[in-house]
This record gives sequence, structure tokens and C-alpha cells, in this order.
Amino acid sequence: MSSELLYTSLSILLQGLVATLLLSVAAIAGSTLIGLVAAVLRSFGPAGTRYIATLYTELFRGTPVLITLLFIYFGVSYFGYAIDVFAAGVVGLSVYQGAYIAEVFRSGIEAVPKGQWEVSQILGLSKWQTFFSVILPQTGKIVLPPLVGQYLSLIKDTSIVSMIGMSELMHGGQAIVDRVGKPVEIYGLVAVLYFIVCFPLSQWVRRHDRRRSVLQ
Amino acid sequence: MSTANNGEPIINLRGVSKSFGATQVLRDVNLDVQPGEVLVLIGASGSGKSTVLRIMSGLETADAGEVWVNRVPLHDARRAKDIRGHVGMVFQQFNLFPHKNALGNVTLALIKARKMSPADARKRALEALDRVGLADRAEHYPGQLSGGQQQRVAIARALAVEPGIMFFDEATSALDPELVGEVTEVMRTLARDGMTMVVVTHEMGFARKTADRVVFMDKGVIAEQGAPEQMFVNPQNERTRQFLHRVLDH
Repeated sequence: MSSELLYTSLSILLQGLVATLLLSVAAIAGSTLIGLVAAVLRSFGPAGTRYIATLYTELFRGTPVLITLLFIYFGVSYFGYAIDVFAAGVVGLSVYQGAYIAEVFRSGIEAVPKGQWEVSQILGLSKWQTFFSVILPQTGKIVLPPLVGQYLSLIKDTSIVSMIGMSELMHGGQAIVDRVGKPVEIYGLVAVLYFIVCFPLSQWVRRHDRRRSVLQ
Repeated sequence: MSTANNGEPIINLRGVSKSFGATQVLRDVNLDVQPGEVLVLIGASGSGKSTVLRIMSGLETADAGEVWVNRVPLHDARRAKDIRGHVGMVFQQFNLFPHKNALGNVTLALIKARKMSPADARKRALEALDRVGLADRAEHYPGQLSGGQQQRVAIARALAVEPGIMFFDEATSALDPELVGEVTEVMRTLARDGMTMVVVTHEMGFARKTADRVVFMDKGVIAEQGAPEQMFVNPQNERTRQFLHRVLDH
């Protein structure tokens, strides 16, 4: 690959990377919020919401993310509204990954011993006070490694949003290949850029995990 | 002896029964506790003594019968919640909040449930920790404390909400033998200060020296009850005799 091609490609890909990062951050926030709410409802919400939360997690865990994205993008237009690809991407990834993150939070909530709930009840804390002040802070340590694992998978899933036409990193790579060819070099470069984002995250979690096991 | 007191009992169980699935753990239990009384429940595991304690504290609901604690009818689902924050309970496994230091363990309920200001809560928490001899450990996390110290923090946490009754569910059973004394000493001090206490324990020394009344439970019923000197020296029930023989002669 000539240095001129490398230079132009990199500038296009870096623009795509910025879009990928924005999309990732927004979808991480959205999916964490959705996942937390679904986990709370499924673990101890009223009976009706428990059923809905279960249906939600099972539905999205059982369908491909691309279908979710297409449904949101085309579904909204079908009802006569316009949605831009970024918004469709954020909503689609949030809803899809939220189903997995709900399960991560649920296993964390259930790992906290029952005695923590009992003593809180005796002390006069309400169910919600117990959840936010006693249970959730203890859940954090348990769920962090699987949660970050889910975030990594979300970051990589953003590449699928190129299928509905969003100009992110993957889309940038395709555009270059369409014009100048060299798919091996260009897609290799794209892969390296995803790796540069994901690798430090997974390393950070591994270090955190190791430190925790040393402490225990 | 406080049982001679004819005033209104602070705890009143009438015809209480409880099953877990097909297993009946309590049948027709009747029991009164007077204000200021120290009642010790003894019996083999599975005899139902912990279930009695959990029903009195509102953690379990009786299937049948009436349960009045601190004037709250716990058998009435609409009013049972009123007991929360008005009794204290100390568990075998301490159940301290691992993410909070000793001070934070004690202040949490004061700030969240009692709506005290952080400064007032801190002041009261330090008094409670001082009462169990741990004022100098306020900044320590549960993981940095010995089992006996953890259990004393748990007692301070329960005391800080100024409960009308303290329940102890095998509070020393998880402790190394050399740490039992510091916890029973705190319990003895509470008893001397006039706290109403219901204690499930295997510490027969505590039962003998500190209880006003000892209740022996067997297979879900109260088999025998009386003053400690009578229960330990001259038990009337054959099963009480066998149980005491087993636990005292090992």
C-alpha cells in the first residue's frame, strides 16, 4: 500500500472511528440503563412487569442484532416518522445489548446473600433503599468483568450499523475498498483500529479481576 | 423474675403454626415476653426456635395464630410492616454491609430510614460503637475486623435505631471459641441495662447466668419452660433432660 493511500485511508477511517466511539458510548449508556431496569423488574418488580422483563430478555437474546436494527430503522419509517441512522443504531444496540446486560445484573443481584435483605428490612430500610444503598454497591464488584465483556461485544456490534448506512468505521472501510480495492490491507487496518479500542478495556478488566482475587 | 409481672406483654404469640412446604416446623406455639425480660430459646436444630425468632421479627409470617410484637399485629399483612425499624436483630452470619466501614454500617439506616442528618447519625453511631467497645474501630471495614468485632458492630448497628426488643439468632455460633466471650459480654451488659431480649443460643452458660426464663423447644412445640435454675438443675420433661445431657456433657 502506498503511503499516500495509507494516509487518505487513515483519515477516512479515523473519522469513522470517531462515529463508532460516539455510537458505542451512547449505546453503552442506553443498554446499561435498560439492562438495569429489566434486571430489577425481573428480580423483584410487580408480577406483570416481571413477565414483561422476562419476555424482553428472552426475545432479544433469541434474535440477531441485525434484525433488531432493521426493524427499528424501517419500522419507524413504516409508521411515517423519520429516524436518522445514528439514533436507530443507538436504540437498536441499546435494546439488544440491554437484554444481555439485564442477565449480567440479575446474576449479580442474586449473588448478594439473602441476609443483606433481611437485616435491611429489620433496620427499617425500604425495598428500594435496600436495593440502591446495600445491594447495588455490592453487585458492582461482581458484575464488572462480565459487564465490560458485554461492552466489548457491543463495540464490535456497532460495525453492523453500517448495514443501515451509518458512516462509522466499518462503513468507512467498505467505502475505501469500493473505490480503490485492496480489501485485505484496508479491512486489516479496520480490524487494527477496533482492536486498539477493545484491547485496553479487556486488559483493564483482567488486571482488575486479578487484583480482586489477590485481595480475597 | 419478670414472668411474675402481670403487665401487658411486649411479645404475645397465640396458637402460632408454621410450615415450610410439607414440613410443619411450629405447631400451636403460645408464648409471652414481658418488657425487660431476657428469654432464651434452646433446643436441637430443627426444633423451630429460629423460626419463632424470625416470626417475632417479621422475617417470616405465621400460617395460623396471632403474633403481637411491640403492639404491632404481625399476623395482619397490612400492618406487619410497622415493626420494621423498631426491633433489632443479630444474625449468626453478622450480615454486615461489606462495602461500608463500621461507622457506615451503623449510620446507613439512621440516615436513610430515620432521615437523621449525617452529623447526628455519626454522633449516635459513635455512641453505639462505644457501647460495644469499638469506638476506635469506626473506620475499619468488616474484612479488617475479627469475627467477634464484626458481631459487635452488628449489635451496635441494631442498637443505634433504639429498638424496643433485641433478637439474637445464634449470634455466637459462627465465632471461634475464643471470640465468643466478648460478644456474650456485650449481650450480658444489654440484659443488665433492661433491654428486652429473645435469644436463640447454644451457649448454655449464657442461658444459665443471664436468662430470666429458658424455653426448651422440641419438634415445633414448647416442651418445657422455666427459670434457668429449674431448667438446668431439675428439668421435668424427659426430652429436656436428654437435650441438656447431650449439650452439657460433650
